[in-house]
Amino acid sequence: MRFFIQELVNGLTQGSLYALIALGYSMVYGILKLLNFAHGDLYMVGAFVGYFVIQWFGGSTALTIPVPLLLLFMFLLAGGGVGMLGVAIERFAYRPLRDAPRIAPLITALGVSFLLENSMLLLFGASFRDYNTSAFIPFSSGIHIGVLNISLTRILVIVLSLVLMIGLRLLVDRTKLGRQMRAVAEDREAAEMLGVNVDYTISMTFFLGSALAGIAGVMAGLVFNQIYTLMGFVAGLKAFTAAVVGGIGSIAGAMLGGLLIGIAEAMISGYISSTYTNLIVFGILIVVMILRPQGLLGRAPLQKV
Amino acid sequence: MKGRIITAALALTALVAAGCGSSSSSSTTSSAAASGGSSSSTKSCVATIGIEGPFTGDVAVLGQEQLAFAKLAIDMDNKANGTNITLVQGDTQLDPAQATTVTQQFTSNSKMVATVGPAGSQEVQAVGPLFGRAGMAFITGSATNPDLTKSGKNPTFFRVVSRDDLQGPQDANYIVKNLKPKRLMIIDDQEVYSTGLTSAMIPIFKQAGIQVDHESVSQKVTDFSSIVAKVTPETTVVVLPWQVAANAQQFGKNLAEQKKKATIFGTDGTQSSSFTIPGSYVSAFGPDINSIPADAAIAAAAKAAYPKYGTFGPPVFAATHVIDEAISSVCKSGQTPSRANVLAAVKGTSEASSILGQPIKFDSHGDLIGAKWFLFKINNKGQYKLVTNT
Repeated sequence: MRFFIQELVNGLTQGSLYALIALGYSMVYGILKLLNFAHGDLYMVGAFVGYFVIQWFGGSTALTIPVPLLLLFMFLLAGGGVGMLGVAIERFAYRPLRDAPRIAPLITALGVSFLLENSMLLLFGASFRDYNTSAFIPFSSGIHIGVLNISLTRILVIVLSLVLMIGLRLLVDRTKLGRQMRAVAEDREAAEMLGVNVDYTISMTFFLGSALAGIAGVMAGLVFNQIYTLMGFVAGLKAFTAAVVGGIGSIAGAMLGGLLIGIAEAMISGYISSTYTNLIVFGILIVVMILRPQGLLGRAPLQKV
Repeated sequence: MKGRIITAALALTALVAAGCGSSSSSSTTSSAAASGGSSSSTKSCVATIGIEGPFTGDVAVLGQEQLAFAKLAIDMDNKANGTNITLVQGDTQLDPAQATTVTQQFTSNSKMVATVGPAGSQEVQAVGPLFGRAGMAFITGSATNPDLTKSGKNPTFFRVVSRDDLQGPQDANYIVKNLKPKRLMIIDDQEVYSTGLTSAMIPIFKQAGIQVDHESVSQKVTDFSSIVAKVTPETTVVVLPWQVAANAQQFGKNLAEQKKKATIFGTDGTQSSSFTIPGSYVSAFGPDINSIPADAAIAAAAKAAYPKYGTFGPPVFAATHVIDEAISSVCKSGQTPSRANVLAAVKGTSEASSILGQPIKFDSHGDLIGAKWFLFKINNKGQYKLVTNT
């Protein structure tokens, strides 16, 4: 049972990160019908922002500020900075192509992805960088019962992810901005005619989605320690899969898809073999797509007759 | 209209960046002019050599280190020999197809006389016949598959590192005789290098009566907590024949996080300042150049050029140095460097000492004669301490 719980926590940690990245994919797709392939790279940029915040405050072994304050700075700067980067990408790369054929922004998204990866590679090199989290959040903190060992960092990641996901859900369901986002997603032209500032709404969508990816990047650094310029590719691919499994365009679906994939990976690795993780996970994806093409919580498209 | 122009410019920039990242195009990167000729015969010793490596892509960390050491060798050798050797780089992304394209570009460049690399065995398999047809020597600092020299398909291929069929059994035998595990876990990273070493080691473990748990995980995975959960209290050794040292570091942290006591045994790919888990063992085909007094100048320059270097840089320095010295010797004999005379000079290489702490001389297949095997243990300060070398 403890082994099961250990694997569940491992899966929830990874799944939470997939879910946070998947939310950005899903929100952008929901509102623009654009697969923003640069989204995984925003997660990478967030991880680097977090790393440089640690260095700015003395490095992992000689911090000059209390750890809670450090974490606050990391999340705020990564979330805010990457959010603004997302807004800039939308403004300069996607907005001019909003009415172009769907393939044009798709290719641009791939271009932006390469641009971010290679710019970071040129700026900061190819070396891995180590958050060395255990130097300021020791492994001894957390829950340790027999073979069950859950570090405080993992607990932090899972709890904060859940808070962010619930917060986003409330924002979309209960605020004016959320209503505008839903309206634009439903019918952009109609929303505009009803007085919704479409450009502002789309910019805010990019800001929120990108900020979540940036925060997820910091979390990845905290819990997995090693960051590098291409870390966004695989994470982005898995998160995209999560968004599709959950039902792309659906916020609850992205959360569910992310958590399901994370937990499935951990359980397959723990109970079967890590060799077959991707084989089985993507096998599940194919089955889900065949049985439910719109994803687990996605809506089937309306047929206009 | 203005918006469209900005978009077009951005898209163009993006495509250029993408092209830089994914194509195999090569570019001139270094032209260290001779700063002081050592003899009149070498004053006009001008030559162009290539380097193939994964400078972008998934293992750019490996390729960038190799590139930094190759540039370093060129700079130092140009100064020492009074030569003017230029380095042209070709990004292969560790992909045989990309390597083939780069090799075609290199071999069709009439100025190019030799090449350093490529990095991966699968790439050497793809490009060996092309270099062979062109009569161009190419020396790798990291391709260790035995077939590359055994097959006879790569007549102009050389390597300054050991072979998998030597390293794997040596690692396994050391573990059996000295660490004496009753149960161990071995995890390959799904790359040719890793699966080859794993295949070489498992039979030896089984023959010694050790219970072996074999796992396999992609090199791109960065969290190993699910596998670490399967490390039992009886598992005293975890063997990681991996190419990415940072992954081994994270594996060690996952072990500590779950309070597992198993000792990590990494192969040469994990020898790096990125992997510093105390108590771990690391085998390598080269020494820690920081511990060799004769390498002090190179180590200091390398630290400045590529601070977190590991196991992949020094052998490329050695490979580049072999080519540089071959070119220099050709010039000293009064000839102009060509593919044929540089190849002959490389074949005749006989360095009494090298950055790798051993002589460099090739057998008729291109293998390093007397390739050494080094074993390190990481101390509590994260430093590599030599345990044995044979």
